[in-house]
Amino acid sequence: MEMITLKDIPVNPASLTFYHQQVLRIKKRVFPHDDLCDRIARAKQFMDNFYSGPIDLDSMAEEACFSKFHFIRLFKKNYGRTPYQYLTEVRMAAAKELLQSGMPVSEVCASVGFDSVSSFTGLFKKITGTTPFVFQKKKRSGQKRQF
Amino acid sequence: MRIRITSIMVDDQDKALTFYTGVLGFIKKKEIPMGEHKWLTVVSKEEQDGVELLLEPMGFEPARVYQKALFDAGIPLTAFHVNDIQKEYERLVEAGVKFSMKPTKMGPATIAVFDDTCGNNIQIVEV
Repeated sequence: MEMITLKDIPVNPASLTFYHQQVLRIKKRVFPHDDLCDRIARAKQFMDNFYSGPIDLDSMAEEACFSKFHFIRLFKKNYGRTPYQYLTEVRMAAAKELLQSGMPVSEVCASVGFDSVSSFTGLFKKITGTTPFVFQKKKRSGQKRQF
Repeated sequence: MRIRITSIMVDDQDKALTFYTGVLGFIKKKEIPMGEHKWLTVVSKEEQDGVELLLEPMGFEPARVYQKALFDAGIPLTAFHVNDIQKEYERLVEAGVKFSMKPTKMGPATIAVFDDTCGNNIQIVEV
């Protein structure tokens, strides 16, 4: 393993805390390419902003100038899950909020980027252990009890 | 089993409440007198039913040694998530908060560390 010494840190280490020095060392070893991280971060932001529409991983990878497999590998290295897993997470979080607001399930489904209610319901149940209908009923009755 | 509460040790609960609500923007959730001290928790404004942060009095002297060692090394005791770290950094600097680490990129995350005035370093993170 390559040894990184204090002289590799591009700032005056005397002015840094022990923790700050460690952060810079780890960064240099684990994330040496800021430009790659930035491109992956932009892809993530794209999903954060446009999860409600049809998102095509092939075109996202192309947009970020990566091959599809390189894109998936780098995304997972940075965020600990694949782009598809992350997109599903974002969509489900948004779906939960909309369901709690009282929006009908069919509208929630369309609002978070799903074409069919059955595939949305199936995935929702797989992830949360309950259907969107039951989730909404439970949350709404809980909200009423609070008042 | 669920996580409903986490805690940080503070040297002065009243000062901590002022900082965590008045400067950071959290909201006081519970304040229950308990003799010399109190059960004092705050929550995020955006997640008022979320995890509570207990501002725990420094009632055990050896803990002070541990807290000081962490503080002197610049090691954060805990971390809070923010949506826009640069904006938050500027807001807190404007409010007089001292940072030992300005926003620093760490792969997909950007982190910064500040002094909570109660003996702790706190990290903020944008992912």
